[in-house]
Amino acid sequence: MEDFIYFFTFQDPSIVWVVLGITLLGIGSAYVGTFSFLDKKALLGDAISHAVLPGICLGFMLAGEKNPVYIVTGAFVSGGVATFLSSWLKRNTKLSEDTIIATILSVFFGFGIVLLTSLQKSGNPEIAGLNSFIFGNAIGISESDLMLYGGLSLVIIIVLTLMLKEFRLMVFDPEYGKAIGFPMKAISFLFNVLMILAVVIGIQAIGVVLMAALLITPGAAARFWTDQLNPLLILAAVFSVLSGILGTYVSFVLPQMPTGPWVVVFLSMFALISFLISPKSGIISRYFSRKKYLRKTHRDHLMKALYKAKEGGKNGLPIEEIYELYPYQKAETNKSIKYLYRSKYIVKNQAIICLTEKGISDAMRIVRLHRLWELYLNESMNIAPDHVHDSAEQLEHLITPELEALLEKRLNYPTLDPHQETIPRENHDLR
Amino acid sequence: MITQVENPILEIHDLTVSYDQNPVLWNVDLSLPGGKLVGILGPNGAGKSTLIKAIMGLIAPTSGYVKVFDKPLNEVRSRISYVPQRESVDWNFPASVLDVVMMGTYGKLGLFRRPGKKEKDIALKSLEQVGMSGFVKRQISELSGGQQQRVFIARALAQEADLYLMDEPFAGVDMSTETAIFQLLQEMTAAGKTVIVVHHDIHSAMNFFDWLIMLNLHLVASGPKELVMNEELLRKTYGGKLNLLTRVTDMIRQKDFNPLKS
Repeated sequence: MEDFIYFFTFQDPSIVWVVLGITLLGIGSAYVGTFSFLDKKALLGDAISHAVLPGICLGFMLAGEKNPVYIVTGAFVSGGVATFLSSWLKRNTKLSEDTIIATILSVFFGFGIVLLTSLQKSGNPEIAGLNSFIFGNAIGISESDLMLYGGLSLVIIIVLTLMLKEFRLMVFDPEYGKAIGFPMKAISFLFNVLMILAVVIGIQAIGVVLMAALLITPGAAARFWTDQLNPLLILAAVFSVLSGILGTYVSFVLPQMPTGPWVVVFLSMFALISFLISPKSGIISRYFSRKKYLRKTHRDHLMKALYKAKEGGKNGLPIEEIYELYPYQKAETNKSIKYLYRSKYIVKNQAIICLTEKGISDAMRIVRLHRLWELYLNESMNIAPDHVHDSAEQLEHLITPELEALLEKRLNYPTLDPHQETIPRENHDLR
Repeated sequence: MITQVENPILEIHDLTVSYDQNPVLWNVDLSLPGGKLVGILGPNGAGKSTLIKAIMGLIAPTSGYVKVFDKPLNEVRSRISYVPQRESVDWNFPASVLDVVMMGTYGKLGLFRRPGKKEKDIALKSLEQVGMSGFVKRQISELSGGQQQRVFIARALAQEADLYLMDEPFAGVDMSTETAIFQLLQEMTAAGKTVIVVHHDIHSAMNFFDWLIMLNLHLVASGPKELVMNEELLRKTYGGKLNLLTRVTDMIRQKDFNPLKS
């Protein structure tokens, strides 16, 4: 708890620096990553982030120490080579994109590990810090390093904000962009540069192995909540920054813990929560709306049965007979009866259940839609009368008043369905 | 049966186009007058979309050239508007109807400048022209096929161009929308614009177009509707591919390089 207060009250200036750096990094990578997620290039981000490792090692070898400028440049160059190679291979061979990306990822990463291992054997005392590039260590970053990473993040954020319109076009309809004379090749080249930069800024805090998660997951999680680009970018940045800060906090409290994996843990939590509870496309809300729909169809069918009884000259149905209509669904049937009773669609008359005025009008609408649809299938789509019932059983719950009006007009206000049953309308006399 | 015109608005000179090394259009040579509603007809795989894309410079031709308003394409791009096929984009992209139509103003805005009030007004006006005013804020993923098509046409209108190239704007569109769009296109040509439409339905083509281009890997006909709409030309267009041409195409494809490229 003390640690928690100490960290989040930002008394320690070095913590302020780290949090500031992580915030910029989070915004930058979420921003670029959301675009590449929308462009369906998520795997490319993964390949680039693995591919920067040999560059980091070569940068270290050239400088002979952990010089951030050498390392960032090395990482950038090696990420660039990987990106160029993947698009060159795609253009000039018949290999599929996933093959190319998988190959580039493993070849570059393998080469990087070879370099890293040989560096470790070399006995250079500076080497200890190099391991943190694999899984990241946000707490260990010095202030001057942070300036470099933060500065690069700012560059990414500014360029993307200035060119929002161009990148939107690149993702949604690049061909159209070309048609109106925009230099789409240059724009996507610039985007690739930003993507490599976004990987590079994260190598020390998050590490090369998991940087792809920080690129892609925020956008993917935010996509569950919104259908608009600007809120999507902002929400992705919020997820990313929060996860970044929480991950850093864990490395602060438990110094042996690498930052990257913890950031990914928090990010995955945001993604999982979004996947479960987002109101529009979360699986829980989808489950409930489906359940609600099934309940309503059950009630509709029950009212239809009561209406048909009335058509047959009976006032209503005894409850046992209703149970028999839906075998093994007694609990569900009871629920429906209770609901209809409370909403005053039905009344109980001794042991007999019958429709109220309100109930009759509603049941009549369902029966009418059912029979109109049957007639439509039969007349306009040439489907035999004995094949139309099942489809109507589903569509009667879905047809809107506008569609109903269209159907009526199209069929010229018919009186009988294909089974010679009356299509009931308001004021229809049930005898 | 190819009618050439004086002072053409669009001139296609001996254009051959290949995908990789698969020739899909052979030596198309035609010229079009301005202010007409032009239909491009032909069976599946006849090269209709390819012709439009080659005119727009989206595919580099193997040989030949295109001139629009008597100038090379890049000098007059702002006067040409392009409607790609509806399926060519991902409609799940997070954008509203207005966002997409605003893209029509990007060309005049150029790079880096953001669209403002003026651009928004143009976009709203274009939406009104296609009868989509009620859908300004709607997410594009929630639109029906016909509505998506109308959004694309509105985007093209927002470009305020003189020549419009539309790739299958009637695919997946219901009858009443089709008629409404055709009326809009006729109003545009009456106002002096030229509209070129890739189309597959011969029946409605007879009713609406002024000028027809018939394609089947090569140019079968180009001319006023009254002159080219006859049984012989239709049979040449739709009566299957030329056997010999298909065999030559196969032969070229099996080479390691494209021998047609100079």
